[in-house]
Amino acid sequence: MTSNHHAFPGTPLSEDEFRQGKILFNHDRLNGNFAWDTGIAIGSYLAGLKEGYLSGSRCAHCRKVVIPPRVVCEWCFRPMDTYVRLGDTGTVNTFSLCYVTWDVQRIIDPEMPAVIEIDGASPGHGILHKLGEVDPQALHIGMRVRAVWKPAEQRTGAITDILYFKPTGEEETR
Amino acid sequence: MTLLERDPHAPDNWQGSLPVTNRYTFGLAGERFFRALKENGQITGTYCSACDHTYVPAQTYCERCLTELDDWRDIGLVGEVHTYTILHVDLDGCQKSNPEIIAFVRMGDGGLVHRLGNVAPDGIEFGMRVQAILKPPAERQGSILDILYFEPAAA
Repeated sequence: MTSNHHAFPGTPLSEDEFRQGKILFNHDRLNGNFAWDTGIAIGSYLAGLKEGYLSGSRCAHCRKVVIPPRVVCEWCFRPMDTYVRLGDTGTVNTFSLCYVTWDVQRIIDPEMPAVIEIDGASPGHGILHKLGEVDPQALHIGMRVRAVWKPAEQRTGAITDILYFKPTGEEETR
Repeated sequence: MTLLERDPHAPDNWQGSLPVTNRYTFGLAGERFFRALKENGQITGTYCSACDHTYVPAQTYCERCLTELDDWRDIGLVGEVHTYTILHVDLDGCQKSNPEIIAFVRMGDGGLVHRLGNVAPDGIEFGMRVQAILKPPAERQGSILDILYFEPAAA
């Protein structure tokens, strides 16, 4: 609809007019602080990331291993039985090449978000993360990748303790 | 084993802050109102001759007859206390050591909401004449806080 409008009514203002004090204004900020409870299962997942490993949880009834770990099985609604330590390697399940940043600036080297099926978890179970040290043109589904971790002293118990996943270079089985 | 124990080494919460900022411009009439306050130390209003009504703070349009208003008037710094309230708690809900008095000060046919100063809570009367005390010209920023407070006007 707005494409039909070439001149919008109103008083246009430029950034210079603000900077040079030609326009009076109030600058304000919301005090939007929050604390999000990590919960039992995600808490232990984040503690694992700080130690440098990925973990999931296992339902003995469904014989499913999910990542990130959950307290309750999504299929049978029974409590999960145990945490499982998983590898930090996996397979690219799907990916995207993203040539804009979150605030819509064009970039030359694309961000490469991907869902990575983690080794040790049930087939189809993975996490969303970024890929790095890979040629965007060579990137493909089924590629084997390994986590690149931050140095231990810089890890805080966050998903960003893994910087990105990079190709392992191993032969692919599928 | 069920997974009902919290890992004592796990981070128990994630902390963050939403980076939400905003910039509010005062509009055509507001710009001129705050310029007059900042540069000349005046409180201004606009007058509608058809409705015989003086808007304070100044407005661009008469909200009774929708005429565009261009009769700008210096209202002076004196108004009357129309109503007031005494604030005993601050924004965080804590008890204030010095209760603050907030009043609607009638000026022209409108008025301003602002602080009262140099007056004890039991010394306030409805209809009391009060005068705006402004910041020194060099410190004014074109904000309603360029008025420090209203205090009882000399008779």
